[in-house]
Amino acid sequence: MEAGSLLLQLLVNGLINGSHYALLGIGFGFIFAPTKITHFAYGPVYAIGAYATWAAATMLALPLALAIPLGIVVCALAGVASYLFLYRAFVERGSTPLVILIASLGLFIVLENLIGIVFGTDTKVVPDAPSNVILLGPIVFTSLQAAQVVCLGLVSAALYAFLAFTRYGKAVMAMTDNLEMARIVGIDTARVSLVAFAIGSAISAVPAILILLKEGATPHMGFTAVFMGFVAMIIGGIGSLRGAVLGGLALGIIENAGMWKIPTEWQSVIAFVALFLVLVFKPTGLFGTKARR
Amino acid sequence: MSQSFGLNEANGKSNDSPTHLAAAGLSAGYGDEPVVRGIDLAIRKGEVLLVLGHNGAGKTTLMRALFGLLRPTQGKVTYLGADITGRTPAQNVRDGIAFVPQGHGIFPTLRVQTNLELGAFVADKHLTGERLATVYELFPILKERADQIGGTLSGGQQQMLAIGMALMHAPQVLLLDEPSIGLAPNLVDRVMQSVRIINQRFGTTIVMVEQSVKYGLPIADRVAVLKTGRKIYDGDPAPLHDRVELMKLY
Repeated sequence: MEAGSLLLQLLVNGLINGSHYALLGIGFGFIFAPTKITHFAYGPVYAIGAYATWAAATMLALPLALAIPLGIVVCALAGVASYLFLYRAFVERGSTPLVILIASLGLFIVLENLIGIVFGTDTKVVPDAPSNVILLGPIVFTSLQAAQVVCLGLVSAALYAFLAFTRYGKAVMAMTDNLEMARIVGIDTARVSLVAFAIGSAISAVPAILILLKEGATPHMGFTAVFMGFVAMIIGGIGSLRGAVLGGLALGIIENAGMWKIPTEWQSVIAFVALFLVLVFKPTGLFGTKARR
Repeated sequence: MSQSFGLNEANGKSNDSPTHLAAAGLSAGYGDEPVVRGIDLAIRKGEVLLVLGHNGAGKTTLMRALFGLLRPTQGKVTYLGADITGRTPAQNVRDGIAFVPQGHGIFPTLRVQTNLELGAFVADKHLTGERLATVYELFPILKERADQIGGTLSGGQQQMLAIGMALMHAPQVLLLDEPSIGLAPNLVDRVMQSVRIINQRFGTTIVMVEQSVKYGLPIADRVAVLKTGRKIYDGDPAPLHDRVELMKLY
């Protein structure tokens, strides 16, 4: 393969992986920005989305057209439950962000191991997951990879409409900007937090299910997911939908461009280096405008 | 509007106006040690009550406890006679209480008009346009800057925006926490004037916290002075114009 088409292929791979990271970043950021909760248990909740879909498709033998929405709903409910039964108590007593972060790590460990206990630690695959290879000139990709890119477009368009045109969307923007002022103008922040957890978790189910169909699900799949989502959000800038999308895409493209010269096992090192550089040179993220007072 | 009094009537507030918002034996704070202890305070309908006190006297804590941002550890808050202790700010805002916090009580990354619209979050949607016109009339500079990002306004403009946001849901009671903070003297005068106008035009009951005596006193109908969390004076502002009297209290 000549260098030109190799680079093009790496760019397309970067776009595909980047779409996955961007979806993770949007979901994580949609919870973090308004609630200020570092919800690391986002990882295993994401895995629950994949496992619920798997269980529906194989154990209940439902068609994917039903199993996928079911997985998204279960994932959203898991996110809502984590706010209702864990974070809410801390928020109400005014706990510091560090305490809430530790609680989220605790929930992470509990959920991840619960998944392992219930489903076993082997990789779960959906047998006849539809995937065709698509050839486009010198570029090769699968229909599932294309779905990752398309889903990013659909999810971000829907989320943009939600933020711009709905009452809850405006409340989310207000809380993202200034949580205390949101309470002062009379926004029921506890209820909006619940909505943010539901939507953020539902978004995470989309990349989770696509990974299930592509590679299968494991109990530990949530770790890289929450890590990459977190990095995408920080690179893009907290509280910016556009930032999370572009941050995720940038992360995927940098990673894959790096693989042109660097062996694949260095992939996550590249993510760390990108995060490090952004934090040093532009701590508000590439597209973050928020200037702390 | 039923609560809009004429100028003279609003000025002629009598001591027998009904109690609007009140604290009874109110204690509140952060952690174990209360910052305000056993405060009794009755705010009469339509008056401007000035709360004076040094830094750390508990003025902000009192305001936050009245508004519901802070849960009192003891005592009661009543609104038009009903017990509202422990209610959330969201419920209190719906009932007509507004709070302008100290510093920049705005959404700094959002447009001026979006800020104002968010101020009307709990209000009837079809009234928003009318309220917006009223606020723009009161603070014409905000209309000029409607599309500007809130955080890029000057300090004085941000304070006007903060007050404008509180007015967007047509409150009955307006709680102002040190609106003069960080402002140049001529701007403080502008802000105090607008507070007076709000009180007279809409009959809004106002509770205003200030550290500086000279700004608040001229527009106050009544003064409460706090010292280390307790109320040490409550009454007519006139005697406080006498410096000696004030020195004794402070």
